[in-house]
Amino acid sequence: MSDTQDKQHGHVVETTKRKRSVKHKLTWLYDHVRNEWQIYLMLLPTVVWMILFLYKPMYGLQIAFKDYSIFRGVAASPWVGWEHFQTLFDNDQFIRAIGNTIKISALNLIFGFPAPIILALMFNEVLHAVYKRTAQTIVYLPHFISTVIIAGIVTTAFSPTAGVVNTIMGWFGLDSIYFLTRPEWFRPIFVGTGIWQEAGFGSIVFLAAIAGVNPSLYESAVVDGASRWQMMWKITIPSILPTIIIMLIIRIGNIMEVSFELIILLYQPATWSTADVVNTFVYRQGLQSGQYDVAAAAGLFNAVVAFVLVMTANTLSRRYSRTSLW
Amino acid sequence: MSNVLINKVVKSYGRLEVVHGIDLDIAPQEFVVLVGPSGCGKSTTLRMIAGLEEITDGTISIDDRVVNRVAPKDRDVAMVFQNYALYPHLNVADNIAFGLRIRKESKEHIAESVKEVGEILGLTPYLDRRPANLSGGQRQRVAMGRAIVRRPKVFLFDEPLSNLDAKLRTQMRAEIKRLHKRLGATSVYVTHDQVEAMTLADRIVVMNGGIIEQIGTPMELFMNPANTFVAGFIGSPPMNQLRGNVHKTADGTKVKVHDVLFDLPGSLAVEEGQEVVVGVRPEHMALTASADSFEIPISLDLVEPLGSEALLHASIGEEPIIIKAETHGDIAHLSGVSKVYAPASLVKVFDAKTGLAINEQASS
Ligand SMILES: Nc1ncnc2c1ncn2[C@@H]1O[C@H](COP(=O)(O)OP(=O)(O)OP(=O)(O)O)[C@@H](O)[C@H]1O
Ligand SMILES: [Mg+2]
Repeated sequence: MSDTQDKQHGHVVETTKRKRSVKHKLTWLYDHVRNEWQIYLMLLPTVVWMILFLYKPMYGLQIAFKDYSIFRGVAASPWVGWEHFQTLFDNDQFIRAIGNTIKISALNLIFGFPAPIILALMFNEVLHAVYKRTAQTIVYLPHFISTVIIAGIVTTAFSPTAGVVNTIMGWFGLDSIYFLTRPEWFRPIFVGTGIWQEAGFGSIVFLAAIAGVNPSLYESAVVDGASRWQMMWKITIPSILPTIIIMLIIRIGNIMEVSFELIILLYQPATWSTADVVNTFVYRQGLQSGQYDVAAAAGLFNAVVAFVLVMTANTLSRRYSRTSLW
Repeated sequence: MSNVLINKVVKSYGRLEVVHGIDLDIAPQEFVVLVGPSGCGKSTTLRMIAGLEEITDGTISIDDRVVNRVAPKDRDVAMVFQNYALYPHLNVADNIAFGLRIRKESKEHIAESVKEVGEILGLTPYLDRRPANLSGGQRQRVAMGRAIVRRPKVFLFDEPLSNLDAKLRTQMRAEIKRLHKRLGATSVYVTHDQVEAMTLADRIVVMNGGIIEQIGTPMELFMNPANTFVAGFIGSPPMNQLRGNVHKTADGTKVKVHDVLFDLPGSLAVEEGQEVVVGVRPEHMALTASADSFEIPISLDLVEPLGSEALLHASIGEEPIIIKAETHGDIAHLSGVSKVYAPASLVKVFDAKTGLAINEQASS
């Protein structure tokens, strides 16, 4: 009896302590907001955006576990547990989409990730200022072209009759290929397009990191007798390694997010076998076939995989290279 | 060890000329310090010796070989940078070994040299630490280690101690001096701290606005500054400079500052009424009279105790003057001072217009 009382008493003390510290924190927050309101004001739009477009939709995620119909609404639809996931994993198309997502992402990681780094290192070696600026502008440009136009350019370039690629192949006496209907050509074209569009713009981050390297490290190396090649390997790359790792973690977090607009614009049923990824699958299931609940389950699966990947990458990086996102 | 010869060297950045043709002859094993105010071209000169800046005009030779067109790595110089320039991703041993690795020295030679340098600089316990985990003084030592491990012909230092606190700076200063004694390498050392210059240098080069004002041993510069700039730069506090006019009296040539007559040493080439600046070092004045000293009445303003000495801030008319006086453990007796004494032999005279020292004529 007294024992329980003691426990209860202890509990009361705990809560008052916690209350006091909560109150203390609230006072602190209030003062902070009052003193720094301009900063909070600037923060506000982002917070609102995140609530509206990232957190509020999470409420709808529950339909992944419900037999959802638009007419009943989210709340009234009955729970069905893991049924939709069962359906998905019984579906060969979904399994294929996972495989394709992983393969495209892997290619993107292997070829697409190093591209901006190499580009930045190359720009860094260009001494002629005007030439450097011109070259940079040219490679940044594709980033600013909308995806639809990019898809148009790609479609035209690879078209079997008038396309640049086939024309050039014609000069060498090669038969023309209708690339965009060939499953084996889809991934190289897609990954190549991604590199062409984003490598230049992506190099800005690495150029900024390179610009942050203390110039006297290079001067010291010059006096020591290092060549430009040695300086790149022994100074530049190690110095920007933390940036490279951070970008890699972000990239891994986005592994399931292959830019599916471009896929939708470029693929056709003939190339689905290599081009259909989870997101395009979700799009067809949800928006075109109206199976919102199954699509939500697929989307949730995607998100969970991405979450696990980014956590793992971050943990590994923190452990082995002392660099991490958080 | 080798000599460095700087001959009419000019440096321009575009149209802007920042070094205006300087001449300097550095003897083998000599420790030369370049001092001067910020922006006077010390670093630029040093970097031209290192080969990090192109030489616009004139020549620099190392060991009688003109190096204007020689790449930095082939000049056999080593440089210690103000911010140490340590590689953050390498540990101390690898930082020290960097230059040797670049030169593809043998593994055994590298290991041996790193060990030896670590011992010389007291870095042995830190060899596998990264620079981020070292104190400022230790980083400084690693930077020195990187330079000495290569056994270069010439050491170049660009304000190596300016990021350290005062105490550590004094300590490292002594260490650099010891190291120079031990290695005997020709050294060019840039600083804007005149105390560092005085304590380290065999010869000091005072620079100002891209020219050399004076070259000399620390004591030459202290006792016989060539002009008012050097007089005001060397010494702490610097030499007092008082404006006055030459008065030829029956008693000899004097300079009248406000209403005080300053005795001058020997026979100087000055004319009656000429505007001059008399220079007297704070430490050359005393509170008591001596054989050849003359009296200077002052109005005392402020006493700054430094411990064994105190600075008396005073004035003669409008002209401020600082006197360094012994405290003998108490400053009470200094508050009533109304006159000080200076020996005529230690008074310097400069032309007020050109700022150049007016020296004693060789007695004929
Ligand atoms: N890259 C450059 N382009 C143009 N002017 C420069 C450049 N580098 C230095 N200068 C100018 O040359 C002059 C001499 O610079 P320097 O760095 O040699 O001065 P310093 O004597 O080392 O000064 P501090 O004691 O501040 O280091 C300065 O006026 C500076 O503005
Ligand atoms: Mg400098």
